[in-house]
Amino acid sequence: MDFAFNEEQTMFQQTTRQYLQSKGDLAIPRNYMEGKQEILTQLWGGLAELGFMGINVPEQYGGIGLGHLSILPILEEMGRAVIPGPYPETVAFAIPLLNEFGTEEQKKRYLPDVASGKTKFTLAIIDDRKNQLKADLQGDNYVLNGAKILVAHAEFADLMIVAVRTGASNQDVSLLIVDHQLHAECQPVKSIDETRTLFTVSFSDFLVPKENLLGQESAGDQILKAGLNELTAAWSATMVGGMDRVVDMSAQYVKTREQFGQPVGRFQAVKHKVVDMLLALENARSLSYYASWTVENKAGDTFEAVSMAKSYNSEAFIRTANANIQNHGGMGFTWEFDCHLFLKRARSLENYLGSPQEHRENIAKESGWNKEKVLQYNK
Amino acid sequence: MDFSYSESELLFQTELRTWLEENLPEGWLDGNRNIPADNKGKGEFLRDWQRKLSEGGWAGISWPVEYGGRGATLIEEVIYEQEMARVKAPPVLNIIGTAMVGPTLLDIGTEEQKEKYVRKILNGEEIWCQGYSEPNAGSDLASLQTKAVKQGDKWIINGQKIWTSYAHLSDRCFLLARTENTGKKHEGITAFLVKMDQPGVETRGIRSINDQYDFNEVYLNDAVADDADIVGEVNNGWKVSLTLLSHERVGVARQTFRLQKQFDELVELAETLEKNGRPLILDPIVQQNLAIFRAKTKALLFSYYRHLTNSIRTGKPGPEGSMDKLASSELGQEMLAYAMSLQGAENTLWKEDALVDASWQRDYLRSFGYTIEGGTSEIQKNIVAERILGLPKDIKK
Repeated sequence: MDFAFNEEQTMFQQTTRQYLQSKGDLAIPRNYMEGKQEILTQLWGGLAELGFMGINVPEQYGGIGLGHLSILPILEEMGRAVIPGPYPETVAFAIPLLNEFGTEEQKKRYLPDVASGKTKFTLAIIDDRKNQLKADLQGDNYVLNGAKILVAHAEFADLMIVAVRTGASNQDVSLLIVDHQLHAECQPVKSIDETRTLFTVSFSDFLVPKENLLGQESAGDQILKAGLNELTAAWSATMVGGMDRVVDMSAQYVKTREQFGQPVGRFQAVKHKVVDMLLALENARSLSYYASWTVENKAGDTFEAVSMAKSYNSEAFIRTANANIQNHGGMGFTWEFDCHLFLKRARSLENYLGSPQEHRENIAKESGWNKEKVLQYNK
Repeated sequence: MDFSYSESELLFQTELRTWLEENLPEGWLDGNRNIPADNKGKGEFLRDWQRKLSEGGWAGISWPVEYGGRGATLIEEVIYEQEMARVKAPPVLNIIGTAMVGPTLLDIGTEEQKEKYVRKILNGEEIWCQGYSEPNAGSDLASLQTKAVKQGDKWIINGQKIWTSYAHLSDRCFLLARTENTGKKHEGITAFLVKMDQPGVETRGIRSINDQYDFNEVYLNDAVADDADIVGEVNNGWKVSLTLLSHERVGVARQTFRLQKQFDELVELAETLEKNGRPLILDPIVQQNLAIFRAKTKALLFSYYRHLTNSIRTGKPGPEGSMDKLASSELGQEMLAYAMSLQGAENTLWKEDALVDASWQRDYLRSFGYTIEGGTSEIQKNIVAERILGLPKDIKK
């Protein structure tokens, strides 16, 4: 039994932190927010050089061939610096889905380019209520009409995995690998979290070759469930990094900020609040590690473990980011101080990939607190 | 990173499980867990259980083999606590003796002390209590005022201790007393091994808010001890008391595993209770609340294991224990409070009139002690803030 990072994970963590610091740390999201999007291209190139784009790409496709637990420390570090970009979508969604459901042809086509940093993925899974995305198979192509909303980093990603309706029934969901950069219309929408740019992506008679179908037709729901589970674990890990950073920020600030002739961190009303933040971080980290461990080991309780991490971490991240603003007093309310970056990121992740309430519904379901179990129990 | 037990650890677990199945009081595993309510009956019951544990070799598993222990590893100790919590085993009456006094004496006691006490601690012949807190020395323990004065070749002890668990059932007390007043409160304290059965020692039970009498006041009026009863050196008692605490390696594990069990019982409670003819567990709001508790209890368990991993790697326990204690005591309170809410208008009924099982009411009331005993939450938060986060120390005298 060993519940801490191993040597390799520690190495990934340290390397990522050093690298991000060398690129400006929180200046990365700041620059990105100010419209200097080239910072993201540089960052991605650097990550690829470090080998971080191919950690879970099998060796025969140019990667290192490790699992989810090896990405975990990198994700945490990215969360610590509110890094923009579709890193989780690429490494914790596209790569595992290609590994598991991709055809040999698809693996050869995409995985080496992902590992080398050339190809970035995002995903489009939420339908525009008024303009549901449908795909009709005509000859060798799917013809796409409709729109997806809240697609993160559509401008930066080269490809996206899109959930489309390929039949009349609600179950007829299929996944397509789509080169949206061709001529899909990507309309940016404004968000308080400017480190995660969001788009409405509209397709009009947009052709996607049949060989871009990921997995079986109409098997999309099941494939999505597996993929989203891993992606949710990944985003939960970034929240741990974010919380780690706000605990650090608060501890540092209350040590140095003086009022009434002493550091405010000497007052228990302040001091104990920072401890409460730390306790929330500890819980979040534990749930994140466990969720990632179940993902890598395909454990029986993976869905529950991931839902526990996502529901807890989402709310704890908001809570600690709030407290961090309060601990910084008036300065925490300024644009200049970094506190708001974490709060905004926390809010933009709160309901991404399922709200805390929905994830708790999963926990209830996975725990068997449903009708059948109870009826059985009463007999 | 590996969240599973090794083969030899699983073997240890099975061995203990089998022993428990064969040795727990009759009906215990089927939920018939009645400990006599009266003081005398309870004392006998707990002494019997202590004897069984000792005979089975399950009383002091971390002790060295040559002293009758099993030389258990830290993980084995944790598994022990896990299994004990799983079956809700009766409390270990001599826990102060086996978990702290014995190992401390093995560590820094004289040959004579080892000879005289150690064997009797393990076989349960002598039950120990711990004389630390005083009416005016709670969180600020070092300001204790009980005095020991040397007269001839005897030490005469005067003062009062409070919150002494099981003092009324104990034969010996590990007691801190002031032997010198240098003006610095951590100096001049000495650790004594005091015989309880003597004219100068009187115990009075404290009735707790749950109508139990597990805690006591201990009055010392010219109580007597010898030089041979001193642990370590005279005036070095503060350091000795820290050594003692360092031997309690898995106390927090006990709390953590108790929470896991408590959570399972909370779910059972929600399955049993009905509102308008439907089991409460079907209520989506109840499910949401239970899911929150589920995530938190799991988180605490994994945090405990992470901190344990850290202790194993560094070879010593760190201040993370304070985080575990804080979190588990507060979550325990929350869950028991929720169990009360679930019981609706009948939630205050107790003893023979309790809606489901009076242990819910008793444990709920008992839980108010969790955040006070063994260092209050406020003290734990200071420790975490100062030792882990490096925040400035409180202003103290």
